[in-house]
Amino acid sequence: MNRNRLLTAMIVPVAAISLSGCGVNSIPTAEENAKAKWADVQAAYQRRTNLIPNLVSTVKGSAASEQNILVGVTQARANATHVTVSPDQLTDPQAVQRFAEAQGRLSAAIIPLQRLQENYPTLQSQGNFKTLMDELEGTENRINIAIRDYNGAVQGYNTRIRTFPDVIGAKVFYGAKPMATYQATTPNAEQAPTVSFDTNTSR
Amino acid sequence: MPARFAIAALALLATPACARAPAASPDPQLHFPALTGRVVDQAGLLAPAEEQALAAQAAAVERETRAQYVVATIRSLEGQRIEDYGYRLGRFWGIGRKGVNDGVILLVAPAEGKVRIEVGYGLEKRITDPFAGRVIRERILPALEDGRFGDGIRAGSDAIAGRLRSRATDAAIAKEDHLSV
Repeated sequence: MNRNRLLTAMIVPVAAISLSGCGVNSIPTAEENAKAKWADVQAAYQRRTNLIPNLVSTVKGSAASEQNILVGVTQARANATHVTVSPDQLTDPQAVQRFAEAQGRLSAAIIPLQRLQENYPTLQSQGNFKTLMDELEGTENRINIAIRDYNGAVQGYNTRIRTFPDVIGAKVFYGAKPMATYQATTPNAEQAPTVSFDTNTSR
Repeated sequence: MPARFAIAALALLATPACARAPAASPDPQLHFPALTGRVVDQAGLLAPAEEQALAAQAAAVERETRAQYVVATIRSLEGQRIEDYGYRLGRFWGIGRKGVNDGVILLVAPAEGKVRIEVGYGLEKRITDPFAGRVIRERILPALEDGRFGDGIRAGSDAIAGRLRSRATDAAIAKEDHLSV
């Protein structure tokens, strides 16, 4: 009895030390890394969300007749802001997918807005519109990079918790679950949100 | 017997097989040129004197501001969008100080007709998206479209160096560039 307890007392620290050399401690590190990368994804999308009211009001000035495009963007933006994913929900593929779909609908709603400059020369001559387009393009690019970095971090984490010997630590110490990669969805225009004209478009 | 087992178990645990799964690499393998200096003219667009002047300007910027600025002309983007090629090149070269990420690459790809100013996270408030867009559209592209590569790159470089040296606050720059976020 005593002897068993002694053995346990000896084995646990040795196990902890030897496993930490190659991974048990690196599991939370990999997990934190993936969560930090997720925060970057959300921040990049947030930046896009913040850009849209200005974009909409600028377009309104030059292309007021394009109400349904403007309303579509505004609604898609409002819907997207309601879908969030906390770090702990990253192990839930459906939560991650709901977020991706909401952002994808916003991406789809923005496309016709970007095309407006072809039909409205006054928009192009407006310095503010170009500035906003530059910011939007830069932001879309940051989103792409953030998603790639997040998916890379998730793959690293998922591989680690499934590979011997880390899998032991992952199960025993942390109950680690795999995280969901992010699949950016860009739905077709047909799937873009339905438009209603009586909606308050100020936000 | 239990003691011997325990020792065997300890020995086993003490020599863990640290088999590392190969790191997942979703990035395509690109053939980046080596970072041979502050000007990497792989596409051969610059005369030696132009190259020297640009390198001297970039060195002066780093002395004064510690920001690392590199001019790169690339023969082929290997089928990548210049945005995707650019940030990977920046990471491959490790431009900018670690943790500060204060690196900038002026990237010119004549075969694809693309220009990009790749900015490290630490300098995004200095070289903003609208600033970079304006410099490319107004200073660089007109000369490049005329085949005056040296002039275009020089004009872009002057604008970038000027902004890196600027003592204006981030807020003043945001105002100057009409930033909305």
